[in-house]
Amino acid sequence: MATGKTIEVTDADFASEVLDSDVPVIVDFWAPWCGPCRMAAPVLEKIAEEYEGQLKVCKVNIDDQREVATQFGIMSIPTMFVFDSGQLVDQITGVTPSFETDLKRKIDAAIAAR
Amino acid sequence: MAQTTHDVIIIGAGPAGLGAGLYTARDRLDTLILEKFMPGGQINNTDRIENYPGIEKIDGPGLIESMQKQVESFGARIENGADVERLEKLQNGHIAVHAGKNSYIARAVILSPGSSYRKLGVPGEEEFRNAGAGVSYCGTCDAPFFRDREVVSVGGGNTALEETLHLTKYANKVTLIHRRNEFRAEKILVEELLAKANEPDSNLVIKYDTVATAIEGQGKVQSVKLKNVKTNAEESYPCDGVFIFVGMIPNTGFLQGFVELTDAGFIRCDCAYLRTSVPGVFAAGDCRIGAAMQLVTAVADGVNAAMQLKQYFRDPAWWNTPVSDMLSPGGW
Repeated sequence: MATGKTIEVTDADFASEVLDSDVPVIVDFWAPWCGPCRMAAPVLEKIAEEYEGQLKVCKVNIDDQREVATQFGIMSIPTMFVFDSGQLVDQITGVTPSFETDLKRKIDAAIAAR
Repeated sequence: MAQTTHDVIIIGAGPAGLGAGLYTARDRLDTLILEKFMPGGQINNTDRIENYPGIEKIDGPGLIESMQKQVESFGARIENGADVERLEKLQNGHIAVHAGKNSYIARAVILSPGSSYRKLGVPGEEEFRNAGAGVSYCGTCDAPFFRDREVVSVGGGNTALEETLHLTKYANKVTLIHRRNEFRAEKILVEELLAKANEPDSNLVIKYDTVATAIEGQGKVQSVKLKNVKTNAEESYPCDGVFIFVGMIPNTGFLQGFVELTDAGFIRCDCAYLRTSVPGVFAAGDCRIGAAMQLVTAVADGVNAAMQLKQYFRDPAWWNTPVSDMLSPGGW
């Protein structure tokens, strides 16, 4: 369900929440000790609200959920993946001044491509 | 529609903006701080601050959290997610600030948009960064991913040395490359770095007079092309990650055409009173010419701008008085 809120996912429910989702999904790989991740968090919350019904915004805490992070070879956080129909279609690493605009462009492209 | 005129709008809630807001709020000026993301900016990337007088040790996010609380406790309002796109000087001398759908008006503005990390500008950097495949600008964030691996870090300032030392706690081997033969970082950090490199079986190697000319690999970083600037000798140096700490560039793109900027994008100002080319608009922190790009000097700039702003409110003509005629600020 695309609830308008961000959802914490785990190694155990990554497949059902992300890969089997019926709407595109953003997955934010983050950690509590990462400053830029803290800066990205409110932007992701805002995006979850703005795209309610069309997009799911999931978060993976890489300190606790190591399997998924390892599986995708995460080497930098925050990294945001865009998934659609179980496929990784785009990504952003790091937070720059144009972060929100860049991420929305990728989301819009994923939604338009359906 | 009638619009509130704020006494002061501060653009950017990093150390400079929060320093300014603390003083303007305590002066009972109606203070609005517009922040693009979340308070803090670059300092959020730092987990180890030891040069903020009076605080022995703190991390960036921790310091910002307490600065923010302090500023808000005196009545300043911080609006997060306000991405300022344009400013405009109005006929009545006030300044309009446009951020998305919202516009704000103030009697004076303090520009404290901060800076972002500079890129190295070599082949492979953008590609591996975008793919999250081994190029990083934040040691604090990404060091844990390089446990038992080999990394190269690039730079010679405080950030480069602090982050390189942080990396040595995780990586098997860290090679710091620096284009000169001495570091511009604080001596105490240089001493710590050299002591670490000189330990028996140290995992830290320093290469002086060396630049990176390309980042290479199949799908992820596998090596860096290094060049010795004295001998011109080149080598392909194996590594799993590259950490880049080569300085900062000012976040002033949105100010083009409004205030005078240098070619490099720094805001021109008088450096003493922080007055820009537009009356009522001050510059504070990393964004201005002559900035020391330090936490303490950013805060000090913010405070200085907040003090000078009162002089401007008292006498707008003061804006055009040369610094040389103001050896002691009038009326204090």
